[in-house]
Amino acid sequence: MSNSARIIAFSIALGLICSALLAGINALTAPYRLSNEKAEEVRNILDALNVPVAPDATQADLVATFDRDVKQKSLGSLSTYAYAPSGGGTIAGYAIPFTGAGLWGPVSGVIALEPDLKTIRGVRFFKQEETPGLGGEISSDWFQKQFAGKKIISEAGAPGFSVLKPEAPAGPNSVDGITGATMTSNRVETMLTNVARDIFKETGKNGNQH
Amino acid sequence: MATSTEALKRPARLTLFGGKGREILLEGIYKANPVTKQVLGICIFLAVTNRVANSLVMGAALTFVTAMSNLFISTLRNIIPRRIRMIAQVAIIATFVIIIDQFFKGFYWQMSKQLGPYVALIITNCIVMGRAEAFAMQNPPLPSFLDGFANGVGYAIILLLIGTVRELVGSGTFLGITILSDSWYMKNLIFLLAPGAFFVGGFLIWILESINSADSAGKSSKPGK
Repeated sequence: MSNSARIIAFSIALGLICSALLAGINALTAPYRLSNEKAEEVRNILDALNVPVAPDATQADLVATFDRDVKQKSLGSLSTYAYAPSGGGTIAGYAIPFTGAGLWGPVSGVIALEPDLKTIRGVRFFKQEETPGLGGEISSDWFQKQFAGKKIISEAGAPGFSVLKPEAPAGPNSVDGITGATMTSNRVETMLTNVARDIFKETGKNGNQH
Repeated sequence: MATSTEALKRPARLTLFGGKGREILLEGIYKANPVTKQVLGICIFLAVTNRVANSLVMGAALTFVTAMSNLFISTLRNIIPRRIRMIAQVAIIATFVIIIDQFFKGFYWQMSKQLGPYVALIITNCIVMGRAEAFAMQNPPLPSFLDGFANGVGYAIILLLIGTVRELVGSGTFLGITILSDSWYMKNLIFLLAPGAFFVGGFLIWILESINSADSAGKSSKPGK
């Protein structure tokens, strides 16, 4: 066998063995991985909605709470998660997932609103690849906590949200940005403004009638 | 010759692979420790040693990867074509790294989230490929496995030592259990950041080097190394 043929044959054989090993481990762990990812998503939606969850709640508890209290509900073209505490009929809030471009990669998050669809209950950025310690701070508590009680509509009534330079006085529809992470802050601003516009488009001027 | 007479003198001692086992273990864990002697794998070391639990898991993951990839590469060492041997090594190492990463994602979700990208980054850890190229390509499978294991354990021990100091000084805890109470202990946050790893690592290397030079000074009458 010539040298090149030997190299090709070896590469194919090695590739097959490695793929077989990887396919095996994938099949073995996939169910566990998927349930972990599902529980993670549920945890973030519940967190954003500010649903009280026991600190030692297991993944099964989280999914059970979610299945009982949260229903998928479409709002025009938006699909949202409506939260009705203890499975009751009154809706206490809506959670709307969003994605957008961060500085280094896609950012996924969820924004939860009060039933008026203007006031924020909470925001979580749960998937992001921003610079750790700088832009990555968008997933930290101090950044996310700022959003509670803010509006996605300016005082003049236009939808939008701003992430300001740190220390600038925060208005009703803005939060402090992150020092040293202006690029990420700007992208988060764009993302949230897009969500705000989408929601405004669906709820229009009569957003209170839900 | 030297090894065989040694083995005859101490038949009850650990004599894996014709008396070489001890030597391989000692080399990897202490004499040629990947962190303190070769200063390899420092990126991961800086990132994960701020907690003891993270250090432990990373040490275990690295031990698994070096041992298994060494075993696999050594088994194939005579049929890997020389021209593509590096690519073959990387493919094999990557396979084991993905296996351990998927395993954590499936069964240790919280830990996998805390370690973030660093499990996947084991592939760039110079120790793994270093051992493959320096040892596994020239030695039979079982000694290679042992060599990978020893280097992994050597790495893990250092991570653990440094993780213990950093967590204790930085957060006042050990494995998450509060040791130094908040009421009187001022947490030294710099130990949780990368510079902390440099400080502690530097001190550890200094201490080990001092012990070593004292050792070799004592033996200096003997010829050779």
